[in-house]
Amino acid sequence: MLFFLIGEALRDLRRGGRVAVSAVLLITLSLTALGAFWVLSLNLGRALVQWRDRFRVVVYLREEPPAGQVDGLLRKIEGVGGIQRLRYVSKGQALQALRRQIGGQASVVAELPANPLPASVEVTPAGPAMTPEGTRALIQRLSALAEVEEVQGGTAWVEWLAQLQGLLQAIGLSLGAVLALAAILTATTATTLVLHARREEMDIMRLVGASEMVIRLPLLLQGLIQGFVGAAMAVGGLYGVYRLALPTLEPLLSFTLGLPRATFFAPAEIAVLVGGGGLLGALGGLMAKGVRPA
Amino acid sequence: MIQLQGVSKVYRVGPVKVTALDGVSLEIEKGEFTVLAGPSGSGKTTLLRLLYRDEVPTEGEIRVAGFDVTGMRRSRIPHLRRAVGVVFQDAKLLPARNVYDNVAFVLRVLGTPRREITPRVMQTLKAVGISARAQALPAQLSQGEQQRAALARALIKEPALLLADEPTGNLDEAIGEEILDLLRDIWTRGTTILLATHRATLADQLKRRTLVLDGGRLLKDEA
Repeated sequence: MLFFLIGEALRDLRRGGRVAVSAVLLITLSLTALGAFWVLSLNLGRALVQWRDRFRVVVYLREEPPAGQVDGLLRKIEGVGGIQRLRYVSKGQALQALRRQIGGQASVVAELPANPLPASVEVTPAGPAMTPEGTRALIQRLSALAEVEEVQGGTAWVEWLAQLQGLLQAIGLSLGAVLALAAILTATTATTLVLHARREEMDIMRLVGASEMVIRLPLLLQGLIQGFVGAAMAVGGLYGVYRLALPTLEPLLSFTLGLPRATFFAPAEIAVLVGGGGLLGALGGLMAKGVRPA
Repeated sequence: MIQLQGVSKVYRVGPVKVTALDGVSLEIEKGEFTVLAGPSGSGKTTLLRLLYRDEVPTEGEIRVAGFDVTGMRRSRIPHLRRAVGVVFQDAKLLPARNVYDNVAFVLRVLGTPRREITPRVMQTLKAVGISARAQALPAQLSQGEQQRAALARALIKEPALLLADEPTGNLDEAIGEEILDLLRDIWTRGTTILLATHRATLADQLKRRTLVLDGGRLLKDEA
């Protein structure tokens, strides 16, 4: 029975002709648009996590405290609230870090008459303070301390990335939804055309006692096949573009967002896209007019 | 096999009411060969359509092959239709499928195991005398052959009741005679047959129980 139903669905697809092909192409287009924005958003999301994780507020001290007073100073700083963790960086440690950073030019540091770098405290804000407003308030509280010379840090960049991610998701979803609607309507038209072509056959099926499920299932399968083929083409196309763009994209991502590599969809995400395609096609098949007996 | 009690069917076309059947009551036993005679427009086709639940009566009760057709739920209709074979004046074969596929199509949609399909189809085509034309498309068949193929399609599911609506209407006399012989054959193998015809001579020639309809009323029931 299953072979018969699949055979009928494939036969119906051939009958659908150009309209069936258009439905497949529209499903491909809608899922490609949706998928492209999704994959961009995924990578941006990874960059965001990384940036948020790296985010610090640096508190530069007027003077380097004596070793015995460091713990007391840290407790005082922690007392302003909104701090997850903090780390003291002495003048010596700051100089060592600078040497590491400049690498080949480290000899320049040796020629300095004295260590010009101030001692500092690296502050990681607690979750609620990780917003632009929260960070501004924290910086204000830290700046008010007598031992503090200057405070640097801000989440504007991170928040801008978050907004960009949200915008990409919204554009992807809106564009995908419009194209998905068009795809459903085209699949519906393709199935309706097939219904007219199949009218005699369906009359005979009803006359000889076929159940409505047997009569309708090929239509549903037809839509599903259109959806799966469209989704597979979309995933294939996106992967092709991803592979082609990778050599150019990765240095760019590394430079701008600090991402070492761009990622493509995980198998579960591919399954969601392909399943979405099947759903679009199946909806088109189910919505076809004249499926139910008059 | 068939019981009708006070069955009426009225079609409404806007404000106009057309009575196709008017208070018809009758009973046909299992294994009978009955002729339903009457001029065109007398209600024969409507009566047959009520029997396989293609139409719903306006009034009255109908029982066919143990099914209460009147109060039948939509989901039960396929069960009734599996017990009833129907042939029409025009064979209604699927033009893109050959004779074999037209007949096998019935078994496929009813979920018959694949290994059973070919032997059953060939056996049925042989029984109606058209096995040599199994690969021919309907357009390549004579009208008599088309009607034989339609009979094979109706009989392949081994129905308890065969409804034949003017099956010889499009055929010349000799070919029509062959189809009638075939129907007699089918009847002798135990299938109940109700044959609708507008040809009064045909009813006389068959010498079977004849129900005469006119203007939607059952005028005669002659054994």
